Amino acid sequence: MSSHRKYPSHSRQVRSAPDSSMPPPTLSQFEHVSRYWDNEHQCFAARLLPGEYYVTTAQEMIATVLGSCVSACIRDTRIGVGGMNHFMLPLDASQGTSAWGEAASAATRYGNVAMERLINDILKLGGRRENLEIKLAGGGRVLAAMSTDVGARNIDFVRQYVRDEGFKVTGEDLGDIFPRKVVYFPDTGKIRVKRFSAATDRSLEDRERKYLSELDSKPIGGDVELF
Amino acid sequence: MARMIMTVDDSTSMRQMVKATLQSAGYGVVEAADGQEALDYARENAVDLVITDVNMPHMDGITLVSELRALPTYRLTPLLLLTTESSMEKKMEGKKAGATGWIVKPFNPTQLLATLARVL
Repeated sequence: MSSHRKYPSHSRQVRSAPDSSMPPPTLSQFEHVSRYWDNEHQCFAARLLPGEYYVTTAQEMIATVLGSCVSACIRDTRIGVGGMNHFMLPLDASQGTSAWGEAASAATRYGNVAMERLINDILKLGGRRENLEIKLAGGGRVLAAMSTDVGARNIDFVRQYVRDEGFKVTGEDLGDIFPRKVVYFPDTGKIRVKRFSAATDRSLEDRERKYLSELDSKPIGGDVELF
Repeated sequence: MARMIMTVDDSTSMRQMVKATLQSAGYGVVEAADGQEALDYARENAVDLVITDVNMPHMDGITLVSELRALPTYRLTPLLLLTTESSMEKKMEGKKAGATGWIVKPFNPTQLLATLARVL
């Protein structure tokens, strides 16, 4: 993927957010997502943690750091509204895969909802399926000590999903052994992916292991209510 | 004859998952990609139960539920909403439209089949 910059940072002069300047209004469902002023790109940004997603109608950046997790960056090209998710699939060990096969395994059902939440929010803001542009990143082999290549599983899922849904992927930086920092501008569709060296970030690996064990400790299934 | 269930969702992969689950339990399955397609089918054909998404193009799932309830043949048919939406307001809209129940995605296959068995 190209390394575009929407907001060029002017030489070495580091500016902070203007005092009067506030982040653009956020949609109510994303108030928990942390936002900050990004000096490098001179704009406000939302910082996504594993399991979160964020959609915006404003000119702002979404940033995240991926190890074996994947992010889909999705926007409606006509209205310039879009967002990003950040997820990985649960391991199926404790979820009884065999009863349902791959088609409706806990992993597939979880991944599906991670994609659908993001897509639905874009559609609710006026987006249309046929105008969606998708870029994919992540899935590095970062959790090296694990017997399963968690990153590869996440990549297989997300590729299968976009194929099944008939979406067009216009850019991807997937796999290999690197963690990545991804920044995305939904209003223009620009994306920057910076790979960093495999062993630099212990905390990233710890965070992903924690997320994975949380996923595996609870059943994948929402509430049922009969009226 | 196998009971016939209609799965309504604009996501192909979601329909595939629901279909695989239902077929594993011996149900017949018919698919529709949005509310309008589902309603057109239902006007001409009987099904024993409908599982529908909420947010879809052309016609959303809550509108589909009210439209189906207005058809004499669907007055008593179990109509379940299966959605990522979990807000109380949305659920109340579904209830008012005449839905039988509300299931939040990701669905649990065992629980989905148990729910079907209860309402059929």
